[in-house]
Amino acid sequence: MEKVLTEIAEITADPYGYVAGLKERKEKKVIGCFPMHIPDEIIHAADLIPVVIWRGNEPVTWGHAHVPPYDCGITRSFVDDAVRGKLGFMDGMVFHVRQCLQAGEFPFIMERHVKPSYQKVLYLPALYPGDVMRDFTITELEGFKTSLEEFTGKKISDDNLNKSIEIYNKNRGLLERVYEIRREKPEILKAREVMQIVWSSMFMLKEDHNKLLTELIKGMEAKTVEPEKDKIRVIPVGCLCQTLQFDILDLIEDLGMIIPDDDLYIGSRYFANQVNLDGSPLGALADRYLTRTPVCPTKGVWQVHWGDEAIKKMRDNDARGIISIIVKYCPPHACYYPDFKSKMEKEGINAIMIEMEHEIITLEAIKTRLQSFVEIIGGV
Amino acid sequence: MDVKYKVNRLQTTNEIRPLVDKHWADLRTAKERGEKVAWASGPTFIFAYAMGMKCHFMAGYSAYCGGIGAGEEVLKVAEMTGDLPETCSYHRLHMGMGEAVARGIDINPQAILPMPDLMVAGRLCPEMSHYAEGLNRRFDIRVLPIDLPSVYDLKDQPRLREFVYRQFKEVVIPTVEEVCGKPFDYDRMSEILTVLKKVATLRNQCWEFFKTKPACWTLWDYGVSIAPVFYLMGNPAGIAYYERLLEELQERKEKGIPAIAPDGEKYRLYWDGWLPWAFLGKFMRKFTPNGAICLCGRYPWEFFPHPELIDPEHPVETWADLYYGEGRLTYHFSPHGTVDLISELIEDYSIDGLVMFSSKTCRIMNLSQPGVIDVLDKKYGIPGVIVEGDMIDPAMISDAQIETRLEALYEMIDSRRR
Repeated sequence: MEKVLTEIAEITADPYGYVAGLKERKEKKVIGCFPMHIPDEIIHAADLIPVVIWRGNEPVTWGHAHVPPYDCGITRSFVDDAVRGKLGFMDGMVFHVRQCLQAGEFPFIMERHVKPSYQKVLYLPALYPGDVMRDFTITELEGFKTSLEEFTGKKISDDNLNKSIEIYNKNRGLLERVYEIRREKPEILKAREVMQIVWSSMFMLKEDHNKLLTELIKGMEAKTVEPEKDKIRVIPVGCLCQTLQFDILDLIEDLGMIIPDDDLYIGSRYFANQVNLDGSPLGALADRYLTRTPVCPTKGVWQVHWGDEAIKKMRDNDARGIISIIVKYCPPHACYYPDFKSKMEKEGINAIMIEMEHEIITLEAIKTRLQSFVEIIGGV
Repeated sequence: MDVKYKVNRLQTTNEIRPLVDKHWADLRTAKERGEKVAWASGPTFIFAYAMGMKCHFMAGYSAYCGGIGAGEEVLKVAEMTGDLPETCSYHRLHMGMGEAVARGIDINPQAILPMPDLMVAGRLCPEMSHYAEGLNRRFDIRVLPIDLPSVYDLKDQPRLREFVYRQFKEVVIPTVEEVCGKPFDYDRMSEILTVLKKVATLRNQCWEFFKTKPACWTLWDYGVSIAPVFYLMGNPAGIAYYERLLEELQERKEKGIPAIAPDGEKYRLYWDGWLPWAFLGKFMRKFTPNGAICLCGRYPWEFFPHPELIDPEHPVETWADLYYGEGRLTYHFSPHGTVDLISELIEDYSIDGLVMFSSKTCRIMNLSQPGVIDVLDKKYGIPGVIVEGDMIDPAMISDAQIETRLEALYEMIDSRRR
């Protein structure tokens, strides 16, 4: 178990180097997909390496000549990485430009400054009423598949696509098993380790990741841990599209809290919902995208309240509070948050919000908020 | 000696305020008359109008709030009731107004609207969806959502047109029929489009007076005259308004009266992005003393620049085609469409420089502005600057930043002239 965790920590410490090396070892082209909704099973089935684009680890410099400072961290960081030539190992890029306005920044900048061999723009719809939404989602996915076939010069058969979906479903199942064990024994992994485990799935080949997870799970199942009953269980929510600074996760734990489960994108949201393998694979991928839960504020869902889902997760895990993590300048989350907060107040839930920026100048303000929060819910 | 520039105000534009006031007053009192009320975002209100509903329009209401000076107090209510200041100021205005009504907070009564029977929510930008969702969650407003993607690449346009047209036919029309309890009135939609076609044709004739040197009017004059080509659509008063405006502009040309005294403009500018509704005067005071005027812009050109494409005989089809067909109205939200449109405008209106207004809370028109400036500079040798601000929220406006950027623009234009 420790060996796997060390390997994952090393991989996530330098995703650039890892993916560039992977490309060389496998002799396959790499396609970067902007998070959160691109069904990269189709890229996998095209015998390419799909990776979910990540927020980098350096302050934004040249990127500010292309995007305003009031765009979110991953937008600025990704553009910065791209224009500085750090993403030369990506042969192609895919953007779902309807997810948020900032995602619309990328294609033009990439065309002009990065010139990837392959670029695809997707317009996945909001989850609104009418058959037209599902039909259009399938149209979009068919166009995506065709564009990849043109890029590689090879057809993607339904068999290949189903095989890729199976591999991805297996990965989702294994990640879910990791989370199950963590729910039983929250002390077994540090929160940063859990995030690294999920994040590594986003840029490793799923076959390779599945092997690591299988070994990890064996170790986790066998390991006994001493329950730390004085720790206060909390559920972090949000942090859409990007990694949370590991320091913040450490801070939460250092202040006497423990995370038995989460509602983070680089967390449980990433592997939620298997793809049904009965029937047409593109239809099944469309249906996964069109699933209303976990509620994602980028999808136009209001039949289910995000707050209710978070509260359920909190209660299911005997947790005592919810920590919303909003990425600074993430309009979908920021617009939803007032209603989320009202729900927390109405239901009498202990909840706090922290804003996360790409460039953290000081953790003190976040620490003060979290400290107050943990004192209020009984951590002293 | 320095030239003292001064705006020559148009007379006709004084007539717009009563038209606009009447529109909003009618909406405010509609429920008292037993009329159905709708709210709308994106180009969707025409479906409500066709059914005889009184209808609000998201950006129109926001512009009105900004224009009557109510923006700041309504935004304060939004912030006080939990909205985050980085979210779209149009979104916050509506939440603030709704919360003020729900909680009995005193705001300018002209800024208050009745809660609608239906919110026709066009998701032209994703934030319009957040706004409709918020209204539904907080005030239990029934929402009719429509996804209206902007077109990144023209090759995507046919399938997006089909997607949107199907929503009009399969979702929008059946829903407004259900809400109003009667069949959809295609004839009324045709009538509205017939009036729109006449108004937009007259408006285009007025645009010709931006081309003259010196120009006879400014983009700000047109900015306050947009309502008849948009949310006052179908109102014949719009025809009369633009007839009088055209007459006044013709007279100005004949008499040699420029938009700014004494002899007209020194710098002819293009304005990108939203108009800064609450700050039109502020910006005017930064342009005029330098002899600068804005003559054209992407947002003001969103309102049917090609009236010849409006086909009232096929109302629903033509509405889809205007936005996703030859009209290309949503394509102009993408960087490629932006470059195409601005190129046309630079050539048609003899533009010297570009002012790219970047809203800190609404990014739909900010996309790739630095890249757009670069492309156009290379193509035409015309400089551009980005000016940051907001349409409504004064907290997002910095005088010094605006002045510094505009000074830089004037200097760049001068240096290229030398």
